[in-house]
Amino acid sequence: MTTTPVIEVDHLTKLFGNFTAVDDVSLAIEQGEIFGFLGPNGAGKSTTIRAILDLIRPTSGTCRVLGLDSRKDAVEIRRSLGFLPSDLALYPNLTGKQTLQYLANLRGGIDWAWVDTLTARFDADLSKKVGELSSGNRQKVGLIQAFMHRPRVVILDEPITGLDPLVQLEFHNLMREHVGEGNTVFLSSHTLSEVERVADRVGFIRRGHLIAVEAMADLQDKALRRITLEFPEPVPAGDFQGIEGVHEVSAEGASVTAQYEGSMAPLLKAATAHGVLSVSSATVDLDEMFLEFYRDEVEASGEAEQGSAA
Amino acid sequence: MLRTVYLKSIRDRWLGASIAVGSLFLVAWMGLWAYADSDDAVGEYMASLPDAYTSLLGVPQDSGTAGLMLANMFNFLGPFVLCGIAVSMGAQAFAGEERDGTMNLLATVPRSRSRLLASKTLAATTIIVAASVLSFASYVLAAAISGSDAGSLNLAAAAVHLGAVTLAYGAFALAVGALTGNRGLASGAGTGLIVVSFLASGLLPMIEGWAGIAKIFPWYYIGGAQPLINGVNWTQVVVLVAIAGALAGLAWWGVNHRDLRSADTSGSLLDRLRDNPYLERSLALLAGSGSSRGLVSKALSDSRAVLTIAAGGLFMVLVMQGLMFPTIQDSLGGLVEALPEAMMAMVGFADFTTATGWYFGEGLSITAPIAVAVVAIGAGAALAGEEKRRTVSVVLGTPTSRARFAWSKAAAMAVGSVIVGAAVAAGIAVGNLIVGLGLDYGNILAAGALTAGLGAVLGGAAFFAGALTGRSVIATGFGTGVAVLGWGINAFIPVNPDLASWAKVSPFYYYATPNPLEAGLTLSHLGVLLGVAAVLVAAGVLAYGRRDLNG
Repeated sequence: MTTTPVIEVDHLTKLFGNFTAVDDVSLAIEQGEIFGFLGPNGAGKSTTIRAILDLIRPTSGTCRVLGLDSRKDAVEIRRSLGFLPSDLALYPNLTGKQTLQYLANLRGGIDWAWVDTLTARFDADLSKKVGELSSGNRQKVGLIQAFMHRPRVVILDEPITGLDPLVQLEFHNLMREHVGEGNTVFLSSHTLSEVERVADRVGFIRRGHLIAVEAMADLQDKALRRITLEFPEPVPAGDFQGIEGVHEVSAEGASVTAQYEGSMAPLLKAATAHGVLSVSSATVDLDEMFLEFYRDEVEASGEAEQGSAA
Repeated sequence: MLRTVYLKSIRDRWLGASIAVGSLFLVAWMGLWAYADSDDAVGEYMASLPDAYTSLLGVPQDSGTAGLMLANMFNFLGPFVLCGIAVSMGAQAFAGEERDGTMNLLATVPRSRSRLLASKTLAATTIIVAASVLSFASYVLAAAISGSDAGSLNLAAAAVHLGAVTLAYGAFALAVGALTGNRGLASGAGTGLIVVSFLASGLLPMIEGWAGIAKIFPWYYIGGAQPLINGVNWTQVVVLVAIAGALAGLAWWGVNHRDLRSADTSGSLLDRLRDNPYLERSLALLAGSGSSRGLVSKALSDSRAVLTIAAGGLFMVLVMQGLMFPTIQDSLGGLVEALPEAMMAMVGFADFTTATGWYFGEGLSITAPIAVAVVAIGAGAALAGEEKRRTVSVVLGTPTSRARFAWSKAAAMAVGSVIVGAAVAAGIAVGNLIVGLGLDYGNILAAGALTAGLGAVLGGAAFFAGALTGRSVIATGFGTGVAVLGWGINAFIPVNPDLASWAKVSPFYYYATPNPLEAGLTLSHLGVLLGVAAVLVAAGVLAYGRRDLNG
């Protein structure tokens, strides 16, 4: 069993003129995992990916895929790699089939039975010209070309753009199967629900800084939950601050909202004392979780706006 | 009129138009400067010519050599540049927004299609009129600073005629685009009309009894009434402007009576023809089916349409020129014999009495370079085009190296140039065979090889600029700039013996000196063309491997 990470980004920095798109990012993705790369628009997700693909060159730092250098061994790497660029652009005058043939000829050794299987699973129409397809149907062609050679590494940049929920589901199943066979998926997205659903680990990037990398299971364990309590009359938020496990409290009229981790009991005890009328609870989503856990790092990265900090 | 739409259209176009006018100025100034230093004897000789001869050239006697140069700017180079801008703007005006998909946004603002069209039309008219006026002013300036005497030439009148003709071409492209919503069709039809008009109005009047037919083409009215001598023929100008107005009216009707298109779903002209069951089989043969076979064949099939039209059109034009030669020879014989050698070389229709001179002057000096330039520059810029359309990300996601990708595009450019070169050789050979002109087939082959070599240099320039910057606009602009300046340098500089050796900086010198149809292949000249092309391509591949790709 080798310990070499499948994808290794080592102190990657990329400047465009004076603008720092990616600042000293390091991460390692292991074999057999789906790594979710999460961040808002313009955070540096695509820049990182394009550096791994050798479409752009690092200002400093290196990228390695399967132990090979992304610059020196770019062609060798791409033999075992499938890539779906963000904002996919294909040749409008080729049909889906011709597009796949073209790319297959550049790769060599494509199993067309597998391509047919993928086509059927995504319900893709390969007979039409790509220029006549809707963006979702064009995205299907992009997904097929990324998986058609059963690559050991798949890098997907915003893959579900335009896909309907059924196809999204099929695509997530495919990703699961693919890593089940010992392959690796690097999934960049700003869609939290997608990353939450399929990723084994999540990296969170903002303004070019990698804020944190967490295993999904750990995140869910210490997942914050949010509770809303309704009282017969207004209650000051301060009465709930400092209670064990409670992170954040806000009061609006007769309702109090609090985030907590671990047991709900101490919070409920305090609520009962105020004659609580009703309780409703929900899980906080990934983004808020990150903002909460990594407030300091996020602020250090220059993040100004803070929605929940009241 | 919508002010913002109008201003945006102007903003999008003023730079390109300014560069074009600037190039015209440079060519005019360079030519006038070369002529101004040349032998006074030429001027004196011109003054001694009978009226009939000078009026055939479209210049008055007292205007001297400067008149020849300016007549060239007004009758050949200027119209091509200005009409090209007009067609491009006319086609882009309405249909371009549909192709780009931006019409979906524009059409949802609470403004009528008519107003949208009017604003865009007015912007195009503004640019065309401004370009005409500025190019006229730049010629006057060029004449002044080069110390040339334009004599009694009526430059303003020629500019008025040129402007009116330019408007007509622009309106034609506008109407086709507005009626069909297909930008490619509009610019293709407009360019086709320019080329056909140019050939028709140049060739038809030389054939007895056919001169009248030339008058149905707008190009004829640029110099037909000889405005440089006679001043403005207002009837012609008013009719041209009225035709432009009628075409704009047709465009107005068109945009208000059809569905708007969304984004790039139109498909090529070839595709539409292919949908016709009767044509399907033969077109499949013509086009081939290998568009997705590999990098080079894909790249070649991308330029298939322009290659088919350019090479096929060139072949037919050259065959026709062969067929026309016997007629021309009879009507021009007497005139040409009266002129001395030096004079003939300058005028450019040097020895139309010989088959080699005729093919050289009519086919090789203008038509063939344009055809090979269009094909090669387009194919050379295609590497940058993949970045503009962002398809490069998918291609380079496969195990293809950047160098291999770039070399493949360069190879397709070279193959395209060779195909046009083959069309040149084939066209002249067929013309030669049918009429029995007695040309040497080895020399004909040499002309084809040199055409391919010229294409490789021009395409190589576009390739290099595109590979270096990743911007297809810069690639096309650089390739076209090299072509226009190179042509101008080679055409005008050698007139002055003191400057003649400067022509060697132009690729056209190695292409056209000496006339391959007479002298055969000058191996060292072909070597220079291929060597320069190879250096440009190699430098381009190197640059392409060293930078960040766009997309």
